[in-house]
Amino acid sequence: MAGINEYIILSCILFGLGTIGFLTRRNALILFMSVELMLNSINLMLVAFSQTRADMGGQVMVLFIFAVAAAEVAVGLAILICLFKHARSVDINKFNVLKW
Amino acid sequence: MDLYFIVFAIMAVGAALFTITARDALPSALGLLTVFIALAALYLHLHAPLIAIFQVSIYAGAILVLVVFVIMLLITPDEELENVQKNMSYRILGAFLGAYLIALLAVGTKGVQDLVKSQALPEGFGHPSLIGSMFFKEYLLHFEVASVLLLVALVAAIYLAKKKNI
Repeated sequence: MAGINEYIILSCILFGLGTIGFLTRRNALILFMSVELMLNSINLMLVAFSQTRADMGGQVMVLFIFAVAAAEVAVGLAILICLFKHARSVDINKFNVLKW
Repeated sequence: MDLYFIVFAIMAVGAALFTITARDALPSALGLLTVFIALAALYLHLHAPLIAIFQVSIYAGAILVLVVFVIMLLITPDEELENVQKNMSYRILGAFLGAYLIALLAVGTKGVQDLVKSQALPEGFGHPSLIGSMFFKEYLLHFEVASVLLLVALVAAIYLAKKKNI
C-alpha cells in the first residue's frame, strides 16, 4: 500500500511537468493540455488526501473540479478558434495584438 | 510501495513527459490520454471508483475528444520549426523554472505525511451513493452553481465559436 508521501511526490512531479510544458511550448493547444495536466495532478492529490483522512469531501471537490475543467475547456477552445481565425496560426508568439 | 502504484505512476510520468515534448499536438493529446487512464487506475486504488469512472468518461471521453476535434480543425503544417532557434533561451529558462518548482514542492511537502493523521477507512468508503448524498445535502448550493457555470460556458462557447463573429 503506497502511503500519502508517494502520491504527493507523484502529484508534484506531474504539476511540475505541466508547468514546464506551459513555459516552454509555443503551440497553444499543447499549452492547453499542459494546464489539463496540472489540474489532474491536483485531483490526484485531493483524492489521496481524501483517502488518508477518510473524508469524502475531497472526492466531492474533485467532481466540482471536473465541472470547472469542462467549462474551462469549452470556453478556452472557443477562444482558441477565434484567435486562429484572426491570426491563422496556433503559435502563441503570433498572438500579440494586445501587447501594445 | 506496491507494484500497482509503481507501474501506473511510471506510466503517468512517462506519458506526461511525452505530452510536453511531442512535436505535434496530436501525439501530445495521445500522451495526455495515457496520463488520464493511468490516473484513473490510481483513483481505483485510492477507493474512489466514481472518480475513476468520471476520469475516463469526462476527461478521456469528452474533454480530450473536444481537444482532438480542435486540433483537427486548426491544423497548420507550415508553422512548425520556423523560429525554433530564437525560442531556445525561453525553453531553457522555462525548463529551469519548472525544475525549480518541482524541487521547491518536493522540499515544501516533505513533512506533510506526519501532519496528516491517517484514519481507518469506514465501511463503504468511496461508494457512489455516499457521494450522491453529500451532493444533495451538504453541497446542494455548490451543485446548483456548478450547473449554472456549465450553462454559461455552453452559451459562451457557442457564441465565441459561431461563424459570424462580432
